Amino acid sequence: MHALVLIAHPCDDSFTHAAARAAVAGLEAGGHTVDVIDLYADGFRAHMSYEERVAYETDDPIKDPQVADHAARLKRAQALVFVYPTWWSGQPAILKGWLERVMVPGVGFVLNEQNKVVPGLRHVRRIVGISTYGSPRRYIWLINDNGRRVLARALRLSCGVFARTRWIALYSMDVRTDAERREFLARVTDRMARL
Amino acid sequence: MKVLVVYCHPNPESLVAAAKERVLAGLAQRDHEVRVTDLYAEGFEPAMTAHERRTHREPGVEPELQRHADDLAWAEALVLVYPTWWSGQPAMLKGWIDRVWVSGVAWELPEGATVLRPLLRNIRRIVVVTTHGSPKRMNALEGETGKRVAFRSIRVLCSRRTRTTWCAIYGLDTADETKRVAWLDRVERTLAKL
Repeated sequence: MHALVLIAHPCDDSFTHAAARAAVAGLEAGGHTVDVIDLYADGFRAHMSYEERVAYETDDPIKDPQVADHAARLKRAQALVFVYPTWWSGQPAILKGWLERVMVPGVGFVLNEQNKVVPGLRHVRRIVGISTYGSPRRYIWLINDNGRRVLARALRLSCGVFARTRWIALYSMDVRTDAERREFLARVTDRMARL
Repeated sequence: MKVLVVYCHPNPESLVAAAKERVLAGLAQRDHEVRVTDLYAEGFEPAMTAHERRTHREPGVEPELQRHADDLAWAEALVLVYPTWWSGQPAMLKGWIDRVWVSGVAWELPEGATVLRPLLRNIRRIVVVTTHGSPKRMNALEGETGKRVAFRSIRVLCSRRTRTTWCAIYGLDTADETKRVAWLDRVERTLAKL
């Protein structure tokens, strides 16, 4: 498969970046091809602009060459791999903004003749979330894992009926030992190799 | 009551912008003190910086965000006005939460504690005014993540007895003028009763 890996963390030396490297290593070991977008490193603008919001209602919703580039790379992907820290139970703003700006009509979904929304990402067969959480798992269960819902439900509805989701999470991140962190990275590599 | 209205939409001609005006009209019917934050108008930068991330255990916001932190400490009611995109708050508003609801402002984590201790006990009402392009059943399927972020994730940092009100319109993509007008009226009525 061809995988698009999206990274959303402001620090290059973060554990999120280590997890992204582990994911890429696993994907390559499994014989997959990989394309990586590091949203912070690329200086991606997090918020939808006024011009984009107005254009959203038209046949030409993409106004930014960087968004056009990301949309073209998205269309080649059979697997989407999101690597990010969960903040306030969801994606960091920069990743939420990526969904808003790139998954526009004609890319994430298409309106058919009856003006009904039909999936635009039928080429995507796997959605993978790799995320760290400061809170313990039972707390996330109570608060709800909203980031996971956005990807596993909202985004999956834009993919074909055969798209499956994989969730690889490290909870209680702040109290994990080095050994546990290494074990998590190994798990990421292993699961990506078997994607 | 002291009411903080946080408004987030890039287009001043939008239905959400009209809803914000009706929020203010509703609040004006009673003797509230109101502060308004217009995230797009002030050019708020929603992406947390590397410096903020590296120092996120230290209490307080970046100096340029101090006004936002002061507003939260002042407020007794929080009114969020935004369009629902991809089932949740727009990146702009999510970034306001990421960057302002930080240690020393919204929570603290004393030595040895595993769960955050809330610092915004002054807030005892949360009202969400939001639009959904898709119908209600579609949003239910998608998981209503915006509602859960507002009424669970951030609410636990407010007063234990915080009451919540959800004032939303669904199916906007196919809604006619009558439905929009009725919703705007409901927004004003709801806020007039706050």
